[in-house]
Amino acid sequence: MATPTLAKARAVQDIPAVVRGFEQLGYITDPSLATVVFLTLKLGKPLLLEGHAGLGKTEVAKVLAAFLGTRLIRLQCYEGLDVNSAVYEWNYQKQLLAIKIEENTGQSIIEKEKHIFGREFLMERPLLQAVQEVEISPVLLVDEVDRADEAFEAFLLELLSDFQITVPELGTIKAKHPPLVVLTSNRSRELSDALKRRCLYHWIEYPTLEKERKIVAARLPGIADELERQVVGFVQSVRGLNLIKSPGVAETLDWAQALMALGKTRLDSAVVEETLGCLSKSMDDTARIKAAGIEKMIAEVG
Amino acid sequence: MAEPEFVGLNDAILLFCRFARANGLSASVKESIGALEAAMTVGVQDRQVLKAALRAVLCSSRQEWERFEELFDAFWGFKQAGLEPAQRKRPNKSALDTQTQQDKAVLMLPTSSDTALSESEQGKAVLGATAHERLKQADFSQIAEGEIADLERIALHLLRQMSMRLSRRLKVSRLHNQVDLRRTIRHSISHGGDPIDLRFRGKKLQQQKLVILLDVSGSMNPYSLFLVRFAYVLQKYFKHVDTFLFSTQLTDITAALRKRQLREALQALSQETAGWSGGTMIGESLREFRTHYGRLLSRDTLFIILSDGWDTGEPKKLAAELSAIKRRTKKVIWLNPLLGLEGYQPLTRGMSVALPHIDVFAPAHNVASLLELERHLQSR
Repeated sequence: MATPTLAKARAVQDIPAVVRGFEQLGYITDPSLATVVFLTLKLGKPLLLEGHAGLGKTEVAKVLAAFLGTRLIRLQCYEGLDVNSAVYEWNYQKQLLAIKIEENTGQSIIEKEKHIFGREFLMERPLLQAVQEVEISPVLLVDEVDRADEAFEAFLLELLSDFQITVPELGTIKAKHPPLVVLTSNRSRELSDALKRRCLYHWIEYPTLEKERKIVAARLPGIADELERQVVGFVQSVRGLNLIKSPGVAETLDWAQALMALGKTRLDSAVVEETLGCLSKSMDDTARIKAAGIEKMIAEVG
Repeated sequence: MAEPEFVGLNDAILLFCRFARANGLSASVKESIGALEAAMTVGVQDRQVLKAALRAVLCSSRQEWERFEELFDAFWGFKQAGLEPAQRKRPNKSALDTQTQQDKAVLMLPTSSDTALSESEQGKAVLGATAHERLKQADFSQIAEGEIADLERIALHLLRQMSMRLSRRLKVSRLHNQVDLRRTIRHSISHGGDPIDLRFRGKKLQQQKLVILLDVSGSMNPYSLFLVRFAYVLQKYFKHVDTFLFSTQLTDITAALRKRQLREALQALSQETAGWSGGTMIGESLREFRTHYGRLLSRDTLFIILSDGWDTGEPKKLAAELSAIKRRTKKVIWLNPLLGLEGYQPLTRGMSVALPHIDVFAPAHNVASLLELERHLQSR
């Protein structure tokens, strides 16, 4: 009864094992996140991750899949996402062609119909794929679920409760190996209470200085110590400036990479100014950072 | 509450769940069971781990997530002053204390915001149909303080319904697309003449774009409290809404209203705006709008002004600005709370010069009148 992934998930001994496993894959967790991931594995409940953009929400699902050695199925939500693009769609072109080809075969209408509504004409979208895995439970990432509309959220809720999907022409498909579900949200709108209740919740904060330094060191092994320390310190103080869009870890990594490409081993105000576009994504924010005094901020970082 | 000294671990966790609920977390009984399950899974040896596990189960929003820390510490050890087990407390009250009293007077009327927050829980509180209807019709300025919370809940509920209706209507009308035969056949050539790839014609419907200017001068005080909420709900359900406050100057509050919770939004607002309860220069404000935000005006924009029309500026300027805006937008809608008063005539200088440039002139003194706006918000 235990499926390979779930068996593996259950075999994850303790929380430190999660921390280690993720770290080997280049993802630095903190005890809180590791605990939640551990609970997700053990209880099989969906995990809802919220937090600002660029803090590695999506990455959690990717690393989780790699950690368990299973497939990652990703559903990117957007406004107007409907069942046709999330669950399944018939391949109409192929169906029409098939009708044409079978025109003179003398099959009865019922036979023909049965044929063209067969599996080979079904285009499986992420959610259907997720309940169809035959070998091993996949990780299903429902990314930016807040962008989809309420109707879709209701559908998702139904799916999460029993992992089965009904295709009228084929019947009900029940997941042999229920997927591990990770949902992410950027909080652009409130999710329904029912959905939130069903999930384990984790709010991803901006990382602490130590954690962020570990992340940068892990992701960019070639970086000079001095530069890494300064970059992280600088970004941390930029986050204190109350910008419209504070830089996330993704921005820190981008910036560090840019500086490395420029052959820098330490910050100076000229290069910070030139590469500020990595950190600030709007004119107002750039102005605010400049007003705070780049020179001064570098000096504070030391 | 019994002291959790000699109670078993399970009981202690259940007690904690109850404590958390009493202090504002929305976790239900079902979550209590989840909490037990989680605690058993991770074990209770490590305090931090137990905390993280319970937090994942009991919280479902950032506010709760942040609040949890305090609750956990208060319950399992470091007792903190001021947290009574059964008492419902306003979270983060201290953050507000820095605001000026005046801002609070306008934005944070007592009890209203808390009730709005937990509407999902308290929404079930039964309010008789008559009271419901009466509040819907009641003039905002005549509401007794005790009824503000009720009114706010009704207003949010009804406005939300309205917005949902509007978005649903857009979806249904999308089905009216017709097959475009000419293009279908054109595209079918590559398939040997069979119309495999159907092409559709039909206007792509877009949600109405809204620009809202809300007057927060002194004379609007009794109304601005509710009108801000009105703007908040519209902003939440319409994709393209830009909202500004004005009195003698213009403030862009779009970003502040984007906050996910009404209370957060109001808090952000009270930090941002100067000029609450001051005088009014409508013409000046409109001019400022056109100079800095003119890009927001387009043929598919509804321009909504919420003001009583008491203007201390130059009437000519107001008329000129309004006509300039009217030329660039689809409709100019002026909602005036005073229109709800019996016998009101729009004779103030500002209002009378503005009238010729307005497409819709309607009242905005109660919930019912705000709901009337639905007709104009449908895009055609």
